[in-house]
Amino acid sequence: MVPAQWYLMLSAAIFCIGLFGILTRRNALLFLMSVELMLNAANVNFIAFSLQWGNVTGQTFALFTMALAAAEVAIGIGIILVLYRNFRDTDVTKATTMRW
Amino acid sequence: MAGAFDYTPAIVLLPFLSFLLALGVGRSMPKGGALAGIAATGGSLLLSVWAMLAVANGGTYNQTIYTWAAGTGNSFELTFGLLVDPLAAMMLVIVSLIAFLVHVFSLGYMNDEGETGLPRYYAGLGLFTASMLGFVVANNLLMAFMFFELVGLCSWLLIGFWFREEAPPSAAKKAFLVTRFGDYFFLVGVVAVFATFGTAAFAGEGSFPALAEAALAGEAATEINTFGFAPQTWFTVVGLLVLGGVVGKSAQFPLHTWLPDAMEGPTPVSALIHAATMVAAGVYLVARMYGFYALSPTALGIIAFVGGFTALFAATMGVVKREIKQVLAYSTISQYGYMMLALGAGGYIAATFHLMTHAFFKALLFLGAGSVIIAMHHNENMWDMGGLKERMPVTYWTFLAGSLALAGIFPFSGFWSKDEVLYEALAHGLGGTPLLLAAWAMGLLAVFFTGFYTFRMVFLTFHGEPRTDVARDPHGVGWNVKAPLTVLGVLAVVAGFVNMVPVAKLTGAHIEFLHDWLAHGLGGLTSEHYGELTGQFAGYETGYVGSELTTVLLSGALSLGLALAGAGLAYKLYNVPAPVEHTDRLGSVKTLLFNNYYQDEYQVWLADTAARNVARGADKFDQGVIDGVVNGISSVSLFSGSRVRRIQTGVVSNYAALLTLGLVALLLGIGLMGGWFL
Repeated sequence: MVPAQWYLMLSAAIFCIGLFGILTRRNALLFLMSVELMLNAANVNFIAFSLQWGNVTGQTFALFTMALAAAEVAIGIGIILVLYRNFRDTDVTKATTMRW
Repeated sequence: MAGAFDYTPAIVLLPFLSFLLALGVGRSMPKGGALAGIAATGGSLLLSVWAMLAVANGGTYNQTIYTWAAGTGNSFELTFGLLVDPLAAMMLVIVSLIAFLVHVFSLGYMNDEGETGLPRYYAGLGLFTASMLGFVVANNLLMAFMFFELVGLCSWLLIGFWFREEAPPSAAKKAFLVTRFGDYFFLVGVVAVFATFGTAAFAGEGSFPALAEAALAGEAATEINTFGFAPQTWFTVVGLLVLGGVVGKSAQFPLHTWLPDAMEGPTPVSALIHAATMVAAGVYLVARMYGFYALSPTALGIIAFVGGFTALFAATMGVVKREIKQVLAYSTISQYGYMMLALGAGGYIAATFHLMTHAFFKALLFLGAGSVIIAMHHNENMWDMGGLKERMPVTYWTFLAGSLALAGIFPFSGFWSKDEVLYEALAHGLGGTPLLLAAWAMGLLAVFFTGFYTFRMVFLTFHGEPRTDVARDPHGVGWNVKAPLTVLGVLAVVAGFVNMVPVAKLTGAHIEFLHDWLAHGLGGLTSEHYGELTGQFAGYETGYVGSELTTVLLSGALSLGLALAGAGLAYKLYNVPAPVEHTDRLGSVKTLLFNNYYQDEYQVWLADTAARNVARGADKFDQGVIDGVVNGISSVSLFSGSRVRRIQTGVVSNYAALLTLGLVALLLGIGLMGGWFL
C-alpha cells in the first residue's frame, strides 16, 4: 500500500497549483478551475485517510464535496455570466466598482 | 373592620378612573366629564369616611402593595404601599371632601359660564385629586415623592388651563419651576434616606424614623451609614434636604413666589390647590415624617423660624392687594407659615389641627371668591365691587364665616387652631428655646395683619355702596355654587370644636378630641411619641407664665385681641359707603409691599446673574471638555478608517492574496506557539 504521506504531498501540490491560479490569473473562468483543483486536493486527502484507517466516512465526504463543487460551479458560472454582461469582459481586475 | 382597608386603593383609583374617562370620552359625556368626576370623588369620600371609621375603631393599615424594583442580597426594595393611620385617614376625608365640593362648584364656575375644553379641565381635576390621595396614603418616602411630583404636574396643567391667554401659561411654568427647584433637594434627600437607612418606609419597626431614633439612642448604630458625620448632624442635613421640597410646595419663604401667580388658574382649582392638595402636601409631608424631624433641634428651629417669618411676611403683603384672589393667595402663604411654625415648635397636633381647619375655611373663601367672580363677570378687582351683601346673601354669610375663621375670631374654627399653634410656640419658647419666642412673636404680629386684610377684603367686597354698574346688578349664581359654600360654611364654623384646648383647660372637660384621635394609631407614629422625641432629642420643655391655665388664656387673649384690633381697624377704615385706599398713606412702604418686597425681581436678578453665569460655565465645560473628548475619540476612528479602507481595492485577486497571507500568518503563528519548528 502506498504510504499516506505520498498522497498528502500530491494533495498539497494540487492545492498549491490551485492557489497559484487564483492569485495570478485574471480570467474568471480560470478562477473557477483553480477552485476546483483546490477542492479536489481536499478530496484526495479524504480518500487517502479513508484508505489509511479503513473507514468509508472519508469517501462519503468526498462524494459530498463533488456535489458541492458542482453546485458551486453552477453559481460561479452564473456570476461570471452577469460579470460579462456588465463589464463586457471576464477579467476580474476590470470589475473594480465595489471599492472604497 | 378589615374590609374598609381592602377598599383603600379604590380611594386613589376612583379619581384616576375619572381622569381617564374625562380624557378619553369626556367630549361625548354630559357636562364634559363633570359627572364622572363628581361620582368618583363622592365615592372616594364615602370610602375615606369608611376608612376613618375603621381607624376610629382602632384599626390601622400599613401594607406594601407592589414591589416594582428589588435589589439582590441586602440592598433595598422600591415599593408602593398603603399607610392608613389617624393622620392619613383625617387627611383622606379632607382631601376627598374638598375635591368633591370643588367638582360640584366647577359645574357653576366652568360649565354654566360656557367654558371650552371642559374634558381637559375635569381630567386635570381628577388626576390632581388622585395624586394627592396617593400622596396621603403613601407608606414610603419614594412613593410620596412620586405623587408629590404628579401633584406638581397637575398644578401646571390646571394653572395653565386658559393657555391661549398670556399670563396663565407663564404662571403655570413659574409654579412648576419654583416647586421643582425645591423638589430637586427633596429628590437628593430621598436618595440620602435610602443611602443612609436602606429603607424609606414611614412606619414600622424598620422604618427610617425608627432607625434614626435607635441610632441616636445608641442602639443598632451599625446598620446605618452616616457618611462620617455624627448621626444627628447627618439627620439634620437629610431632613433639611427633604424640607427643600416642602418649602417649595408649601410656598414658604423664599420659594413662595409661585403661589400668588398661580391665581391665574380657574378659581375652583385655586381652592383645590390651596386648601387641600398641593400646598397642603408640603406640611403633610413634615407631619408624616415628624418622627424624623423631631430628632433634630436644628431642623425644627429652621422650620419654626421659616414658618413664623413667612406668616408675617406674607400677611404684610396681603394688606395692600387690590384683587380678591391675591389677598387670599397671601393669606394662604401666611397660614401655611403658621402650620410650619407649629411643626417646628413641637406642636404636631396644633399643625394638623390648623391644616384641617384651614382646609375648610380656605376652600370656602376661594369658592366664595369664585362666586363673587361669577357675579362680577370675571372682574377680580375689589375696588370695582362693594355692596354685594344684599345681592348675594348666601355667598356673603358663608364668606363672612370663612373670614372670621381666617382672622381667628372666637369661636370660629380658625381661632382654636391658630391659638393652639401660637400657644405651642409660646410654651416651648418659654421652656428654654428662645428662638421659638422670636418665631412666636412674628406669628403673633401676623395675627393683627391677618385680621386687617381679611376684613378689608370683606368690607370692600360686600359692604358699602356698589362702585360699578356690574356690582349694582350682579350675575346670579346657582345651587351648584351655593351648596358647596353652605357645607363649607358650616364646617368653617364648627370644625374648631373638635379640639377646644382653652375651654378644656378652663373647665376640665375632656373635649380635646383631636388629641385623642392623633394619640392612637401605629406605634411610633402617635402624637405622644412625638412629644417624647421632641423632649428627649430637641430639648423642648414647656414653660408657663404663671400656671398652665394662665398661659393658655394669655395666649388666646393676645391672639384674639390682636385679631380684633386688626379687624376693628379695617372696620373703621373700610366699612363706609365709599371707602378710599387708606393704604396709600403708607407711601413708599406700600410700593414695597405692592411689589412683594421685590422678591420676583430679586429672583430674576439671581437667575440672570448667578444662575446664568453658572450655566454659561457649564456650557463651556460641556462644549469644550465633554464634547472635546467625544469628538477626539471619533476623529481617531475617522482617521484610521480613512487609511484602513484603502485595502478595499475592489480587485478580487488582492482579496484572495490577503486571505492567503492571513492563513499563512495564522499557520505560522500557531506553529510558533505550538513549537512545530523547534
